Amino acid sequence: MEKKIGVYICKGCGIDEAVEVDKFEEVATKEMKAPVYKTHDALCSPEGLDLIKGDIEGEGVNTIVVTACSPRAKHKEFTFPGCVVERANIREFVAWTQEPRTEDTQALAEDYVRLGVSRAKSADLPEPFLLDETEMSVLVVGGGISGMTSALGAADAGYNVALVEKNDALGGWAGKMYKQLPQSYPFESIETPTIGATIDRVTSHDKIKVFTSSVVEKIAGVPGQYDVSIKTNGGSEQFKSGAVVMAAGWRPYDAGKLEHLGSSNPNVITNMQMEEIASAGKITRPSDGKEAKRVAFIQCAGSRDANHLPYCSSYCCLTSLKQAAYVREKNPDAMAYILYKDMRTPGQYELFYKSMQDDPGVMLTKGEVTGVSEAPGGNLFVSLKDSLLGEEIKIEADLVVLATGMVPNTKIEVEELAEWKAKFDEKLKASGGQPDPKAPLEPHKVPNILNLDYKQGPELPVLEEAYGFTDSNYICFQYESRRTGIYTAGSIRQPMHMLGSIEDGMGAGLKAIQIVEATKNGYSVHPRAWDQTYPEVNLQKCTSCKRCTEECPFSAIEEDEKGTPFHKMSRCRRCGTCLGSCPERVINFKDFSINMISTLFKDMDIPEEGMRIVALVCENDAYPALDAAAFNRIKINSAFRFIPVRCLGNLNLAWVADALSKGIDGMILLGCKFGENYQCHFVKGSELANERLGKVQETLGRLMLESERVKLVQLSIQDYDKLPDMLNEFADEIEEMEPNPFKEF
Amino acid sequence: MAEQVIKPDLDFVKGVIAAGGDSLKKCYQCATCSVVCNVTPDKNPFPRKEMIWAQWGLKEKFQGNPDVWLCHQCNDCTAYCPRGAKPGEVLGAIRKQTISQYSSPGFLVNLVNNKKFMPFLFILPAILLAVVISATGNLGIPEGEIVFTKFMPVFPIQIVFTLALIFGVGVGIMGMKKFWADMKEANGVTSGDLKGSITGMLTELLSHEKFKECDVSRDRATSHLLVFYSFIALGIATALGVLYIDILHMESPFRFGYGTPIKIFGLVGAVTIIAGTFLMMSNRFKNAEKVGLGSYFEWHPIGLIGVIGVSGTLAWGTRVANMAGLAYPIYFIHLVGVLSLFLYLPFSKLAHIFYRGAALSFNKYSGREAAVQPAAETTAPAAGAGTESAHESEAESGQGEKTRE
Repeated sequence: MEKKIGVYICKGCGIDEAVEVDKFEEVATKEMKAPVYKTHDALCSPEGLDLIKGDIEGEGVNTIVVTACSPRAKHKEFTFPGCVVERANIREFVAWTQEPRTEDTQALAEDYVRLGVSRAKSADLPEPFLLDETEMSVLVVGGGISGMTSALGAADAGYNVALVEKNDALGGWAGKMYKQLPQSYPFESIETPTIGATIDRVTSHDKIKVFTSSVVEKIAGVPGQYDVSIKTNGGSEQFKSGAVVMAAGWRPYDAGKLEHLGSSNPNVITNMQMEEIASAGKITRPSDGKEAKRVAFIQCAGSRDANHLPYCSSYCCLTSLKQAAYVREKNPDAMAYILYKDMRTPGQYELFYKSMQDDPGVMLTKGEVTGVSEAPGGNLFVSLKDSLLGEEIKIEADLVVLATGMVPNTKIEVEELAEWKAKFDEKLKASGGQPDPKAPLEPHKVPNILNLDYKQGPELPVLEEAYGFTDSNYICFQYESRRTGIYTAGSIRQPMHMLGSIEDGMGAGLKAIQIVEATKNGYSVHPRAWDQTYPEVNLQKCTSCKRCTEECPFSAIEEDEKGTPFHKMSRCRRCGTCLGSCPERVINFKDFSINMISTLFKDMDIPEEGMRIVALVCENDAYPALDAAAFNRIKINSAFRFIPVRCLGNLNLAWVADALSKGIDGMILLGCKFGENYQCHFVKGSELANERLGKVQETLGRLMLESERVKLVQLSIQDYDKLPDMLNEFADEIEEMEPNPFKEF
Repeated sequence: MAEQVIKPDLDFVKGVIAAGGDSLKKCYQCATCSVVCNVTPDKNPFPRKEMIWAQWGLKEKFQGNPDVWLCHQCNDCTAYCPRGAKPGEVLGAIRKQTISQYSSPGFLVNLVNNKKFMPFLFILPAILLAVVISATGNLGIPEGEIVFTKFMPVFPIQIVFTLALIFGVGVGIMGMKKFWADMKEANGVTSGDLKGSITGMLTELLSHEKFKECDVSRDRATSHLLVFYSFIALGIATALGVLYIDILHMESPFRFGYGTPIKIFGLVGAVTIIAGTFLMMSNRFKNAEKVGLGSYFEWHPIGLIGVIGVSGTLAWGTRVANMAGLAYPIYFIHLVGVLSLFLYLPFSKLAHIFYRGAALSFNKYSGREAAVQPAAETTAPAAGAGTESAHESEAESGQGEKTRE
């Protein structure tokens, strides 16, 4: 496309007071050679936008540099279909954070005009990547309450669904309940389970195909084109799917490990056994069938305990309250004792807790259960310390219920892991391989639920501290997994009660139909939703070093038989980690490339006097932090030029060499905190950048420059108030060194 | 501490709830109540622990527990309770339960404090009096000048009412003795300064010093004081009557001039008893939003005393106005009221005369009271003075909040 660049300067929001806007014209038109240059008092106003639209139609302008506010503001206004749009941020980066009308401020603003035009020159319009054919159906793995809700959500929206359930009937744990918690306001009384109605809806829905007694054998392919094989009733079946919801549920913690709570005594049962007993009729105890009139519930049985499950399963307190309710319902003379560490009744269930508290036959006390011992007549004593009375107490009960927690079905127990490794090694030996006893065995590589045909493993990766749950590392996008197109819902993602599972199932079901639509239209999903660019590889120059396949956080790059990597594009989230990883610089986007950033350093004004530092800024966390500093009018050192990148994982060492050889005194990288538990949108781009910086000494050594001229700073979005100090500290370090000797060239 | 086996008793919990503690189960044991309470001792403060015992149905814990009686039901706790558990009301209900434990026969407590039996409770003494009057006096409207002895002569009055008083006070004292023994046993107290502690209790009683420490319902100390002194005044007037009639053998001392001591005490008593009960009622209505209106158990004695005060005064007024048709029936109502008061004394809320008296004395007898400093003298506690002063400072900050309001 023949580019015609238009530079539009906004004078509003304090810009006109901070800088001499008139002087930009020379920079834009003479220096950067933009043919159209205009200013407006409020560019985002209808009149301002008409000015630009007029030039698009009248002048043929098709590349627009909006020199105004942060790209995070007024996105909708400054969108012009068919045009390349670049945003030069002189409101947040200049007007709101610099001393008005000084030489440095003016120079800074003029630089942002240069950088804006430079980017616009390098960028091209995206051409979306499209699959030949996009499969729009959804595969749901797990037929419990979460999975069924997902299936119904997608099916009701008009998408076909295949629902795969391991057991011979739908319903999961919710189908085993005698009573269920209240599902709606006023959240006061327990209810007869409604799971039957849900099962009926699922089985009679013409868009849902149910496979019971079935497991997934293999999922190959990409979002919009998954090839699914399932083992069903002894046979096997293949079909295509566009997206996957994993709702494979949970299992109760093994009460056999809770010997200290008397689990070997027949009258000490689990909360799931309690549901069975209640379904059969009176609350009787297993040892002699006598009716239990005093039922003690031990909360946190094996939960929030470093030796068992270190976390709270969030449903056990509610379940015990529910069971206490039916103990009392079945026999008004019966009493329920609930012995808890802390009562946790999430959300609206506080109301249920309150209503249960009002029941005179429900005794609640905080305390630490120290043991369960036998009492005369087959009864039991539960001993408690730190009770609310501050005394050590003992309470006699006919039946003790252990409120055990949830273990996600993704979690592999150590024993199972060893068993699996033995099998794996045997297989390896049979095929002539040599087992490596030291090879670490990662739980997510054990095939059991999804069996993905992905280079990076057959199951979803699990966060280091998620205890085997497939929780997302995004705080705000809980259904996201690190496999694009695969969403998790319900108690496999996080321990939750039934109402939570219903909400979760619906959310994940809707995310599944979102990705098939996105794939069909060739744009990315979260976090670069609507992005139509994608990594384009010049394969002729690829040396098959495989760094990109290793580093891609989403398993979007696979290798062919010869070891040449290729993108499985609809798995890609457009983070550009591959762009940074490639030593041959052959991976680029239409609007973001190695060369584009390097050109910025060339186009920047680098005077012989005065310090210049460039900052590469993560657009997800660090850039918003800078904006936040600006909203708070925090002054920022004028030596810095901020350049947004998709992720610090984009860092290519070529940029360091290019910047510093142009005379830039230092480079700072502002990115996320390390470790995969931080909600870095691209998992660990910042950490990868840091690894690459390990080799910066080599690069800078060639230029006879100090490696301290490049520094990576980890920050999170709320650190905006610490930013000025972080930057000043780095500026001071640079100040102490000699100015970059390349300035003179 | 040795492990103790606790035995939750569902019936006890239900009993407390039925006695007006229906908010009992709402308590989530945050201890705000014990912190804001101005009358609790610092050591083992109430009412939090009582709330837990009651919630759990630990009936035996209330055996010989003085604390429920140290409570003056100021209802500061109720006003500040974040969960609406109304500890003040609950402790009132527990007190009712302990009255039935000590005043025998205990079933009378449930009878007296049950709204349903109210008519029966008045009809019974009314029939009794009617029988006595028709046998000894004139059950009708006597002719001529209004003289109440024409209706019911002095002698049967003395017999009936003295016996009733002996019954009421006797039951109360017996219960009090049992309670005292239980308190000694439950608290492991064997000896103490009995005389000193009773004197101390009485001194406090005369000034209502303790009651005045209440915050939300501070005014209740005044109304209670009025009723308390009205009883003393009316008691003196009655004693003077007995003195004149039985010892000095004078005729109808009640017809003396208004300047005589018997008239002065009588009239002052009449005015204060009416003013006191009126204030009690208005205070309860005024504070109802903050602390609840109170149960029948609470209202029964107020109503009864009100009836006695008003009927007594009206009997006098109608007599002076020479309205025989009204004066005699009103006088009859007055007699029924006083008889009920005496008979039901140890079974109604009025039994607090015995049990609170005993508990307040026991608190000094056991030495626990000395730990409490009068509110006026509390200064900022020294740093690091341990849990006791921590409780104090919490209490103080609670007060501070109230002052700001």
